[in-house]
Amino acid sequence: MAIPQQQIRNFSIIAHIDHGKSTLADRLLQYTGAVDARNMREQTLDTMDLERERGITIKSVAARLDYRARDGQDYVLNLIDTPGHVDFSYEVSRSLAACEGALLLVDAAQGVEAQTLAHAYRAIEQDLEIIPVINKVDLPSADVESTRRQIEDVVGLDASEAVLASAKSGLGTQDVLEAIVKRVPPPRGDRARPARALIFDAKYDPYRGVVTYVRVVDGRLQKDQRVMLMSNGERYEISELGFMTPEIRPAEALEAGEVGYLICGIKTLATVNIGDTVTDALRPAEAPLPGYKEILPVVFCGMYPAGTTDIQELRDALDKLHLNDASFRYQADNSDALGLGFRLGFLGLLHMEIVQERLEREFDLTLVTTVPNVEYHAYLTDGQMKVVQSASQMPEPARIDRVEEPYIEVEIITPTEYLSPVIELCKKKRGLHVRVDYLDARRCLAVYQMPLAEIVLDFYDKLKTYSRGYASLEYHMIGYREGDLVKLDILLNGEPVDALSTVVFRGSAEWVGRTLASKLRKLIPRQQFEVAIQAAIGNRILVRETVKALRKNVTAKCYGGDITRKRKLLEKQKEGKRRMKQVGSVEVPQEAFMALLQVGDEGR
Amino acid sequence: MIGVYIHVPFCRTRCPYCDFNRVRIDGAPPDAFVDALVREIDAFDACREAETVFMGGGTPSLLTPGQLERILEAVRRRFDPKAPEMTLEANPDDVTGALADAWRAAGVNRVSLGVQSFDDTALRYLGRRHDAETARRACGIVAGRFANWSMDLINGAHPASSWPATLSECASFAAPHVSCYGLTYEPGTPFGERAHEAIDDETALACYRRSRELLTGYERYEVSNFAMPGFQCRHNLYYWRNLEYAGFGPGAFSFIDGVRSMNETALEAYLARPGRKTEQLRLSEREIRVETLIQHFRLSEGLSRDAYADRFGRDLDTDFGPGLRALTQRGLLEERDGRFVPTESGFELNNEIGLALVD
Repeated sequence: MAIPQQQIRNFSIIAHIDHGKSTLADRLLQYTGAVDARNMREQTLDTMDLERERGITIKSVAARLDYRARDGQDYVLNLIDTPGHVDFSYEVSRSLAACEGALLLVDAAQGVEAQTLAHAYRAIEQDLEIIPVINKVDLPSADVESTRRQIEDVVGLDASEAVLASAKSGLGTQDVLEAIVKRVPPPRGDRARPARALIFDAKYDPYRGVVTYVRVVDGRLQKDQRVMLMSNGERYEISELGFMTPEIRPAEALEAGEVGYLICGIKTLATVNIGDTVTDALRPAEAPLPGYKEILPVVFCGMYPAGTTDIQELRDALDKLHLNDASFRYQADNSDALGLGFRLGFLGLLHMEIVQERLEREFDLTLVTTVPNVEYHAYLTDGQMKVVQSASQMPEPARIDRVEEPYIEVEIITPTEYLSPVIELCKKKRGLHVRVDYLDARRCLAVYQMPLAEIVLDFYDKLKTYSRGYASLEYHMIGYREGDLVKLDILLNGEPVDALSTVVFRGSAEWVGRTLASKLRKLIPRQQFEVAIQAAIGNRILVRETVKALRKNVTAKCYGGDITRKRKLLEKQKEGKRRMKQVGSVEVPQEAFMALLQVGDEGR
Repeated sequence: MIGVYIHVPFCRTRCPYCDFNRVRIDGAPPDAFVDALVREIDAFDACREAETVFMGGGTPSLLTPGQLERILEAVRRRFDPKAPEMTLEANPDDVTGALADAWRAAGVNRVSLGVQSFDDTALRYLGRRHDAETARRACGIVAGRFANWSMDLINGAHPASSWPATLSECASFAAPHVSCYGLTYEPGTPFGERAHEAIDDETALACYRRSRELLTGYERYEVSNFAMPGFQCRHNLYYWRNLEYAGFGPGAFSFIDGVRSMNETALEAYLARPGRKTEQLRLSEREIRVETLIQHFRLSEGLSRDAYADRFGRDLDTDFGPGLRALTQRGLLEERDGRFVPTESGFELNNEIGLALVD
């Protein structure tokens, strides 16, 4: 029997990292009996090991909670989890679009942070009913009143009826559920119209193929129905659908207002676009749901097999991983220095780290990864525009009219005492001041615009250092702008090494070149022959460093039992050597290709 | 044929750079140790004729003539050496004419004297209990009684400038065999904490090259060893050719029938159960072949295709062709009459050869 929309509430939990989102979700699941205490494990909705380890949500999932409210009526509450990181802001916006309300969870001891703000703005944009929940109220350092004020002054929401909770102890769980029932509006879809369902997530299941998570907005979807994806017109038949409890439970149909999953013979995740609309193939809707866009990678790096890993293994691993995460791009690449490999594109830095880690961990690969970079637009003198995804693709300076690079707007919330070092850091990173707002007596919000390239390198770590870990950061893309950029080359024994070249701001090119060359001198081990390291812009050599030749490497004594010990020692050394890349005649360790990341560690 | 090694782990003082198994003691080693050693030798069951016997340490020159006699008696019973090279390692300040005569009487026909340096400052740096004068006197005594003897020297001790003079003085004694080891600061030893004092690579290389220049009339037949014609150390060649040897005494290693093993190291435990192995490793055919190459390339004789084929019944090029060619290209090995031998760089960068050959 179809559940009336009046009895349905669809909501998300939005919060800054570590403010207790997963714990609150656990509590709600437990309270409503969706997960019993026996099967309860921490962070039920975070299913990947990596998510539990890092304490972040990478993939969102949903759970249907059955709740009998204080008014005696039974409600279905659909909790739609959102990814908690800036790299996945588009996915977050789609998850929010599937809801009518959101719990804005704020740590009573920490107050409003950068992500609190960014998430709240997104929820406001989606016109959601936002219920402030002040969490961790039982901590000795909790300051409920100050947190309430910040929610009102900084976020601009009425917090007089904020729910007070402690997700850890379970305090306030029922109040949260009641607030959802009372304050989140029920869905208002038209069940008679042609079906429209919003895809807010999808995952790959090796046994079932692609499982698509949807919020039905209008009409209904049922088993055996022919459906169509509105962005690409692809047609499928629904072989199974149902709810997540959070374990999947098959059903006969999903009605407007409901949240559930579809299985319809889609083979690869790449076919399913988050934000797309599913409609009836025979009676399609006139227009798709608003807000769909294709998401494009913004951070790029090269990955090359090293050690015993070969290119085919890397290709297979990427193919397999792409089944689970269609949001990264990869294409074959041939580096003069590193040989055959792939150029990968990611939604952001964290996304890159996750993919890298999964490749090494789940597929046991040894990889050489190059320093991440952004996508440049080189406008040539002949009027053409060339997209540059790695420094080696940058055209000759003579052919370039101008180069544009992606810019972001950064919002940093920091205790006031660290404001001046944070501003100093932003300036160093070519940041343009937009404004500074004082949130309360202790904290302020600094808004800067800066090149994404500056963030990609080491901005986040630096920000944490400059603010002793207190500052939080959120950013969004604001488009391309012209930059005074040059290609910095690194030459080993006179030969340019494409994998080590980089695009840098002209004003810091010389300094970066010097620092990078000196880092490389320390990273490249002594070899049988002298190794000359040069940094150059075009034909101009900025600096030369030398790795002296290895002149003596001999074990003076080697007797009896030492023989096997020595062989094992050599084998271990050789294992280390295998991780190196032979560039021309020079053996270059993996870390050398990441040396640029350490350049910022030295004062200018 | 087999090489027999006897480990006598006792020392009057501990040299701060030494990482061999050793126990500090005043006076002679306890008879209980000799009893255990004799029991271990008597119980040895994989018997073959010994070509060499080497008593090392520790300080074998602390043994009383009676103890030495008992040990060698046991060796003769078990290994029936017909014309053995029988070496005893000695500390200069233990050497007296009477004791050296006793060694000869017991059957020792080669003495390896731990001179280390003829410079008092360097000897103090090394924490040795003898001085240069004592070393000179000991060399005289040994040279007068043994046609075959060896001098151990250490280069790289401070002051490094003393090295040429030590070499010249060594040459003046015309010891038929000289070992010149570079000082290492091994982790776990008192010197391990002082690794920052180590001389730089360039100076070490200069010292190494100096040894060859000043020891005229010698062949450098191994990385650190020099011999006049006919005086190579037959025992150590067992190691460097990766041949079989049996080790007795605490912490001694053996390599027999493809198994490399180590005796109980701790003295108490050894005395309770001599011959018990705490490490035992059966090497694969491939591992034995790799180790054989690594060791052979420490020697000026290198390794010939024929010798390899005789020993393993296999073809050297099939097993190691690419590695050997790469090493030849890098100028670390050269091929002469079906034999690969290390070049001068091959000696100075010897570990690079091993690194290229291991799997």
